[in-house]
This record gives sequence, C-alpha cells and structure tokens, in this order.
Amino acid sequence: MNELEALSEYIPLRAETPEWEDVMRRARLRRSPRLLVAAVVAIVVFGGAPALAVVLLHGGKPGLPGGADRSNVAIMLEPRTGRVLLEVAPWKGHDGFCYFAYIARSGCVPRSHQTLVTAPPVFGWTFDARVASATATTFGGKHVQLLVRRFRGRINATFFFDARRYALLRYIALRDSDGHVIVRLRK
Amino acid sequence: MLDELEAFYRANLAELRRVATAITGDRELGCDAVQEAFARAVRKRRSFRGTGTLEAWVWRIVVNAARDARRRRPAVADLADPPTNGHSPVIPLDLLTERQQEMVFLHYYADLDYAAIAEALAISPGTVGATLNAARRTLRAALEEVSS
Repeated sequence: MNELEALSEYIPLRAETPEWEDVMRRARLRRSPRLLVAAVVAIVVFGGAPALAVVLLHGGKPGLPGGADRSNVAIMLEPRTGRVLLEVAPWKGHDGFCYFAYIARSGCVPRSHQTLVTAPPVFGWTFDARVASATATTFGGKHVQLLVRRFRGRINATFFFDARRYALLRYIALRDSDGHVIVRLRK
Repeated sequence: MLDELEAFYRANLAELRRVATAITGDRELGCDAVQEAFARAVRKRRSFRGTGTLEAWVWRIVVNAARDARRRRPAVADLADPPTNGHSPVIPLDLLTERQQEMVFLHYYADLDYAAIAEALAISPGTVGATLNAARRTLRAALEEVSS
C-alpha cells in the first residue's frame, strides 16, 4: 500500500449534503447582541449549583439542529430562573438524538457504544443505561456531583451537566446505582 | 461576496469536510468545524481584502476552525467493543508533525497546489514543497516497512 491508497482509506471521499442554512444560522447567532447578553446572564446564573427539573414539551424551541423531531423535545431547566440548560429530541430518520446545550453547543448523535464529555461547561451523554450518577474531579482533588438525567423513549440516553467552569478538570467518573465506577473520562 | 462563499461551500463541501475531519480526527467535529468556519467567513467577509484568493482565505479559516476543534476534542470512551468490519487502514500519521499532516491533507484531499497551500497556511511555497517531500518520504518508508 502506498501513501495515496492509505490516505484514501483513512478518510474516504463521500457525497455530502450541504447545510448552508445552518451556516447562516450560526453566523446570525454569534452576531446577535441579545444572545451575547443572554450568554453573560447565563454564565452568572449558572455559577451556582442549580437543581434541575425535567419536563417534556410539545413544540419547537430555537437552537436544536434541523434534524431534531421537534414534536418530542425534552428539556432540562434551571427551576429558579426557568432557563433552559439542555434541549434533547429524537433524531428524525435516525436511531439517536439531537441536542442543544448551554447557549450554542448543538449536534445530532447516532446511537453507539460511546460515552462522551466536553468541558467547559461539563456536558456529556452516555447510552449505557447503568449510569446513575456522575462526579467531576479537579486537579485540586475537589469532587463535584454532576446533574444526571435519563431520557427514555426514542432518546433513550443519559445526560450529565454542570455549567460551572473548571479550568483544571482531572476526570469525570460515571457510576452505577451501587456507586461502582463504570467509566472514567479524561479531558 | 456572500454568494461566492455559498458557491464555494456547495462546490467544495466534500473536500472541506474531508480535510477538517482529517485534522480533527473525528467526522462529527470535522463537519462542525466546516460549518463554524463558514459562519466565521460570513461574519468576517468584509475583512477579506482581496490581496490573495478567496479560496485560500476560506481554507485558512477552515484549517483554523479545525485546529480549534481538535484542541477542544472531547474525551471519548467505548463502553463495549466497537463494531468492526475486520479492517483498519494503516496510515502512520503519528510520524508527521501537525503542520506536515495539514499540508498532506490539503494537498491530497483538497487537491491544492503548493501556492494555494502556502497561501492557506501563510507560509512560503518553498517551505510547502520541502515539508511535503519530507512528509511523503516518511509515510512511504513507514508504509513499506509495514507491508514487508
């Protein structure tokens, strides 16, 4: 095998579907002064330790990708302010979900074996139904309990979230209902 | 300018996503980086001074967005054996520097010539030629070693 063949196999060329409307939406999103104000407010508001409520809504909310089934949106709310931390919906035509998290992070995810985490803010999901709780550990040794919610039905995934910013996050541990660590995720 | 950006996006989407996926090492992140790069290009289109080509200007934004995405790449853990078709491509990219990798991707996946790569990465065409040759030699030697 030469380098051309190896490169062709590494990332195969494939037919792509343009999403120019998404480009324009993102361009407008970043430019909006209202969104900037909302971001600042949200960072301040989420600086505490919010308890979450989970409700199901019927009807769309801005922010979810186009592939989301907006007739079945589950959201995580910060109850004191009513602000939305996370929106999740089944992915139309796919086995998976679409999400819109904490201001501007969004995407659609196929069902798989993968557990994923991003930071900041600490946000992630797992398709492993055993996960019942999650903690983040900083390099300073501080353990932080993350908010964990499982959405059943077509979403059928567990999400964990903490909007606070940890510059020196060491790892995140996902545990089952007996407290046993199922997996540790390192940033 | 907006029409030109959209036309470039639609005409080159496969190459754009291929390069961004290669740089980020993740298909989803690569696709997202392209979307984000074009959103940036739309917002900053008035800063394009026309001293170089629009193509190189856009590629530079795409490469930068992909680098940003790679730095923010999330931790991923497989909780079970991942599905496999029994075949995994052999490409010893670890032997190349990040800069060499970017040049290889732009050259092979986007079919950019030395001048366009130089413009996109803000370096001289001579540097591109020398770096790409070194990268090719490294890859070829490693692949020969694997096959022998």
